[in-house]
Amino acid sequence: MNSYVLNIVVAVGLFAFAAAFALFGVYAERKLSAFIQDRLGPTETGKFGSLQTLADILKMLQKELITPAAADKILFALAPMIIFISVYLGFAALPWAPEVVPSKINIGLYYVFAIVSIETLGILMAGWGSNNKYSILGAMRSAAQIISYEIPAGFAIIAVVMISQTLDLQQISLQQGVLSAEKVKFLGLWDVTHTGGLLSWNVFKAPHLIIAFVIYFIASLAESNRAPFDIPEAESELVAGFHTEYTGVRFALVFLAEYSMMFMVSMVAVVLFLGAWNTPLPNIGTVKLADWTTGIFWGILWTLIKSLALVGVQMWIRWTLPRLRVDQLMNLCWKVLTPLGFLCMIISGLWRLWVM
Amino acid sequence: MILITVMFYLMAAIALGSALYVAASKNLVRSVFMFFVTLFALAGLYVLCLADFVAITQVVVYVGGILVLILFAFMLSGRELLSGLQQQTNRLIAINKLPALMLAVLFFIVLVNIFLKANIDNASWISQSIAQKNVITVTDVTVNGIGVNLMTNYLLPFEAISILLLMALVGAAHLSRKEGEAA
Repeated sequence: MNSYVLNIVVAVGLFAFAAAFALFGVYAERKLSAFIQDRLGPTETGKFGSLQTLADILKMLQKELITPAAADKILFALAPMIIFISVYLGFAALPWAPEVVPSKINIGLYYVFAIVSIETLGILMAGWGSNNKYSILGAMRSAAQIISYEIPAGFAIIAVVMISQTLDLQQISLQQGVLSAEKVKFLGLWDVTHTGGLLSWNVFKAPHLIIAFVIYFIASLAESNRAPFDIPEAESELVAGFHTEYTGVRFALVFLAEYSMMFMVSMVAVVLFLGAWNTPLPNIGTVKLADWTTGIFWGILWTLIKSLALVGVQMWIRWTLPRLRVDQLMNLCWKVLTPLGFLCMIISGLWRLWVM
Repeated sequence: MILITVMFYLMAAIALGSALYVAASKNLVRSVFMFFVTLFALAGLYVLCLADFVAITQVVVYVGGILVLILFAFMLSGRELLSGLQQQTNRLIAINKLPALMLAVLFFIVLVNIFLKANIDNASWISQSIAQKNVITVTDVTVNGIGVNLMTNYLLPFEAISILLLMALVGAAHLSRKEGEAA
């Protein structure tokens, strides 16, 4: 019976984390965008405006839930929940530290990849249910974009899986540090099994995995509908895209899903490419930095720091680059990222055969 | 063990109920969304059969791919067409339902026949596998076996399917080309 209680505690904890992260993320994004655009951002509520998002969410929870008269009421009400739940379910398989993973499944990576694709369905549901031209256009753009960008993302992921030979996220994490049972080679040349740290991360295991990382990162931006790929909610053309009609808690759920998605894709990128919960500090001679900074507490800390850093880069990109046009978006996906991803996959196969 | 039984009946009930709704509902779009529930419950049943890879592939292919494509077709065709479909006169007994009815009854007979003849509790091949310890346990990794089999025993069907899909892709690309550009 104890394990069931633990499962529920873990699930609630992950939800609390997602909610807290969304609050913090919105505040960070507003401050960061203000810094990039030479403004001040929120300053009034609390010290440095730090209570602004808390006030926002309080306001949002009290707002009336408005359902458009011509909307499909059931689909309209269910859509935000499905969008959020699909993202939230993905957290179940992501490892936080050695031995700390909500659900240890041996095809965790494939599971995350699958469960995220359900978000598309929720977005289509929201677009259709709203019975609004802007919503449906936004939903269709979003679905087209997510389906297209799953392909280069998938190739980049396969490139890593071919090197690591497993779909278990915990195994992939283990192989990228001092705890690794097999030999780890920096760029395929230098044996760093006992050095660990930054040098044994997947991005540095083979030169083409750096390209795979960039491909995955670009594709993950598109999958979480973030600028420069935010045509589904292009404010200047579509009002707010698929969530035009949403108010109150439902709107908050859509927002929560977007921020959880940002964190989740960053965490997947960290697990696959940036050493998961492994420390960036290598062992140098008798100074065993890597051995000292590997453990459960350190693992959670490293995962958080690395994922938050990637989320920061996502925000930086959003406030720096202009939005892509639909045709540019598809050109980038099909003519640049997909062939490159395919190439990475082939190199991975050859690398596994001849170099490792 | 009791939890697994409860889970099985729960998922089976969800799958059956949602499938009935899919077939009975006049609102096509809601049917498609309900089909998603059916497929998800089926994926759950696969997990209970320890076929985790099949379960997730089901979600990737059907939910992430096919359902979204069906919805695309609906959204491109517009609301007028759909409301036209909804206003069709629909009597319970009609001569134009005869083929569907016959197909359904025949398929049901086949299923019942299989169910009665299978005698699943003491089938020889199952007891043989158990005796030879040729069984999958909960902690086994099934992906490796699937991969090895696809690349050895089932390589020809695998390649044949990939060529079929390639042909479909080329065909779709050809059909969607603009008239003037086609040489």
